[in-house]
Amino acid sequence: MLKRLTNLLTLKRRSREKQPEIGSTPADVVHRENKWRLLHYRPRTEGPAYKTPILLVPSLINRHYVLDLMPGRSFAEWLVGQGHDVYCIDWGTPTGEDRYLTFDDVCETYLGRAVRKVARSSETGKTHLLGYCLGGTLTTIYAAKHQEYLAGHIALAAPINFHDDGLLSRWTRTETFDVDKLVEANGNVPWQLMQGAFHLLRPTMNLSKAVYLVDRAWDDQFLDGFVAKETWANDNVSFPGEAYRRYIDELYIGNKLIAGEFALGGTPVRLEDIENPTLVLAFEHDHIVPADSAAVLVDEISSDDKEVMRLPGGHVGAVVSRKAAEHLWPIIGQWLADRDGRSTPVARAEAAE
Amino acid sequence: MIWDLWKKSFYAWENATADYLEEVLKNPLVLGPSGAVLNGMMKLKAKKQEATTKWWSSMGLPTKHDQERALHALNKLESRLLDMEEELWELKQQKNQEQAAAE
Repeated sequence: MLKRLTNLLTLKRRSREKQPEIGSTPADVVHRENKWRLLHYRPRTEGPAYKTPILLVPSLINRHYVLDLMPGRSFAEWLVGQGHDVYCIDWGTPTGEDRYLTFDDVCETYLGRAVRKVARSSETGKTHLLGYCLGGTLTTIYAAKHQEYLAGHIALAAPINFHDDGLLSRWTRTETFDVDKLVEANGNVPWQLMQGAFHLLRPTMNLSKAVYLVDRAWDDQFLDGFVAKETWANDNVSFPGEAYRRYIDELYIGNKLIAGEFALGGTPVRLEDIENPTLVLAFEHDHIVPADSAAVLVDEISSDDKEVMRLPGGHVGAVVSRKAAEHLWPIIGQWLADRDGRSTPVARAEAAE
Repeated sequence: MIWDLWKKSFYAWENATADYLEEVLKNPLVLGPSGAVLNGMMKLKAKKQEATTKWWSSMGLPTKHDQERALHALNKLESRLLDMEEELWELKQQKNQEQAAAE
């Protein structure tokens, strides 16, 4: 009881004095372009145990370090420890000129280059691709068009069917919501606006978090994780304007991805073209991406090796919590390991074609 | 004990309130006017920007949009150069392979 009280009273000082070690898994920047960077986590000392690397693709509007939160709570660190060769995209912070950045620029040019770079670095000439949240929508669209570099694809809480019963879907389809005016006035869509919208998804969340904090305040490890998670949650980035316009217009309002009417680089994106091994992960208490909206991907693709898993947990907690380390991460690790030997080795030059 | 009991009732209240607020926030009677207010604010912001831009360009100075367009063009150029670098790399690999096959 006393420890709980002391910890609560010193929480502010604690977070100021002891900055959380966010995104601290050692990594090298192997490519830079505009604001985004491709990070390569340094493999464990004995070297990677698997032939096929994995590229992690986070959402455009959150910092990449959600997948590398802090030592002991880092998915990237865990994957490295398991012997995987891990890469991650850090989308960086868009500035004024990025209002003209299109969805094609992000998905075809930037993500495409990252995939090719990682695939060429491996002896199989292929890579696994894991997309989280909007990152999963991007990887799904990419996977439907470019399977030549992919050994497997994992869509983690990725929205695919945008006409669901969730609040975000309802809001964007409100007749009075005009995405063009929003982009014209702001250029990049301000993170404050989006964060406000996310808070409204569950307005009582902060109260609930406060009670949970008081309840677990005796646990130093929990407090460190809490501070790290809150640091991440309040460290958002704005959405490049043109990309946002298309994201809302064609995906949220038009639901064109599932209808097969979405196009990338001028050619249609058909989910049934995805033939690579695919794992779809959806979370039952996800308020941002309802489980059904994510799970539907498995019904749309024509891969022989496909699986959908509905797991308990919310959009963020299920990926970075201590429970994630016990449940979710081993599922992903095993899935990757099982498919490592199955990827057909191709010559690097062939992969480059 | 009392804490546990309080917690239970708090979470029950929190769940019920969150569900109720979700229904409110889904209601077209709330969404319609909220969207209209947001639109009004955005229109006002755009008008203010337009006025600033006109004043700025009347002095013969490049506007924020001019600078953004120029910087974006530079970024596009960088991407095109990187595309070409990749293509060159591929051609080199192909040539090396052909040479190796010929030997």
